[in-house]
Amino acid sequence: MRRPTWLDSPKRELWLAWGATVGFYNLYAVVFFLITRTQPPGQPSYGDAGVVSWFASHHDGLLVGMAFIFALGGLSSTSLALITYSIRRMSVSRAYAYAYLLVYAVAAIPGFLFICVAMTAGAMRPDRSPELQRWLYDLGFLSFSGTMGVFLIGSLVWMTAILLDKNRVFPKWFGYLNLCNALTEVVVAPAWFFDRGAFAWNGLVAWWINVFVFGIYTGVFITLLRSMIRREDFGTGPLPDLPPRKPRRSPENAVATAAS
Amino acid sequence: MTRPTAGESIIVTSLPMIAVIWIAAFFVFPGFLPPLSPRAPSNEIATFYREHAARVRYSMVLLNWFSVALIPLLMVIVERMRAMAHRTPVLRYCTLGVAAAAPIVFLTATVFWLLAAFRPDRAPDLTQLFNDLAWITFTCGVPFLVAQCLFLAGAVYLDQQARPVFPRWVAHFNLLVAAALIPAAFAGLTKTGAFAWDGVVSFWVKNAAIAIWIVVMAVVVGRTKPAGAEATA
Amino acid sequence: MWFFVLFESMIFTAYFGVYLYHRGQHETAFLAAQSHLDLGLGVLDTIALLASSWAVARSVQAARSGRYDAARRDALLTAGFGGVFAVLKVVEWVHQVHAGNTFTSQEFFQFYFFLTAIHFIHLLIGFVVIGVLVRQLSGVERRNQETVETCATYWHTVDFLWVLIFALVYVVR
Repeated sequence: MRRPTWLDSPKRELWLAWGATVGFYNLYAVVFFLITRTQPPGQPSYGDAGVVSWFASHHDGLLVGMAFIFALGGLSSTSLALITYSIRRMSVSRAYAYAYLLVYAVAAIPGFLFICVAMTAGAMRPDRSPELQRWLYDLGFLSFSGTMGVFLIGSLVWMTAILLDKNRVFPKWFGYLNLCNALTEVVVAPAWFFDRGAFAWNGLVAWWINVFVFGIYTGVFITLLRSMIRREDFGTGPLPDLPPRKPRRSPENAVATAAS
Repeated sequence: MTRPTAGESIIVTSLPMIAVIWIAAFFVFPGFLPPLSPRAPSNEIATFYREHAARVRYSMVLLNWFSVALIPLLMVIVERMRAMAHRTPVLRYCTLGVAAAAPIVFLTATVFWLLAAFRPDRAPDLTQLFNDLAWITFTCGVPFLVAQCLFLAGAVYLDQQARPVFPRWVAHFNLLVAAALIPAAFAGLTKTGAFAWDGVVSFWVKNAAIAIWIVVMAVVVGRTKPAGAEATA
Repeated sequence: MWFFVLFESMIFTAYFGVYLYHRGQHETAFLAAQSHLDLGLGVLDTIALLASSWAVARSVQAARSGRYDAARRDALLTAGFGGVFAVLKVVEWVHQVHAGNTFTSQEFFQFYFFLTAIHFIHLLIGFVVIGVLVRQLSGVERRNQETVETCATYWHTVDFLWVLIFALVYVVR
């Protein structure tokens, strides 16, 4: 059996992590938007009866979708490992890299664990008293949407590192995009105060604008991580530019396509 | 470039003591032998916690306190990963990213169990809710363990050198453990059969896999010494 | 930096759009609530921030012509005017809360507190930015015109966003 060439590339760990990152974010989007249909979120203004019928109409999707996250959610670690690596490649203190790693290691708990547990518990026992079902519903959505502090601090750590960096790991405008992302994470906080209107957890400000910005941000950083890996020369100085496009596939490009 | 390994053997040899605590707690908790059924009506659950409040508390306090006891072993494994023939530290960062999350999941489950037993005379529905949350967190909460096994397997596969840090079978073994853990994530889908949280697959296979993983990895770590550290014990 | 200005303006355009949409839905209630705002205080706010923008512009000009001491003085003046704005804002908030107008009391005040608070966070970051500016201007080996102009651009953005908020929330009737 012949070994695929990318396995001998010095960048194979980076490409594996990058592939897993793409896989994880696709899984995440499919589970939350399509399978469980918990995004866009249910109405926070539902009464007991509304919550019970919400659980009834989402029953199968919730159980199947959350199970996929329970099985593979840990792969989220690959994206933060890559980002930690990117900060380590910069001309800044490693403190930034480790700070990012630890802040985001915490993020998995509010980021998906609580909503998975609460929604599974709600869907598993539809005959539970409506009042308790409503409590699970609130726990799920509020723990998911209302706890963005880790993403705020994490984005600011990454932003500062990018702006100080002299190794050109990321373009400066991406540093500022981190600031935009951090500032739109803040606007979810009002979700704890309202059960309707623009600031509720499904509101125009707290959900739509926030998710729109976060979606752009995620797409951009996955693309930029890819080009960082392609440019990586394993030195300590500035990262070189992308190699110019060639008509024939160079081994480097073959690596990229094999991993993606 | 050898890094100090002093003290690692203490971490590995202290594991049997921790194992004694875990195993004792496992047997003291009255809801594991046999595992509490997800089909039990709320009255039955409430009666269970009323009758066994003391044993639930003793066992879960122990598990709560020692839920993070595995982290030192994981960090020894991460240190061993340094010596692997990798070009980048990315796989170590991946492992660090999940190392603390798995104990937090387990700790959350013990808190729900302790809450259920703290006021056993409350309304049965509420006790059942805590019981459900505890079992779901405990049974389905495997994402970080699965990822940990996958990262470790990948790290061992990519460790291509004349004297690899861990033998190749450790990678196969970790993939096998990951495969044994994944079905438990789907325990929410059914209340009966092998996949329910009291079933053969979701309870016995999953927990046996975790126990075997700890024993095997401790032995592997204890037996393989990093290159250049032969002199140290 | 211009990317930030552009993207942040886009986000604020979206916020303003949501505000105007809700205002259109309940126009009388919004107008009634809006009459509780002190227009004079809002004008003072605006003057303070415009003055700070003027100071930071002078600072950039001074730095361009190499008069770094003057540039530093103007940067500190910028922070001073920014501080005046911050104090006025807090006074205004306290006043509104005492009058019973809180974040949760009515829809207009949701938007009022939200927009002014998110702007306030931008202002707080602005103080950090001015701190960077002062540090740049103080050290001979650190002076970098590009960074100076970037800091000033950020501060102008904070001012610019405030003018829009002032126009939409305080003035438009």
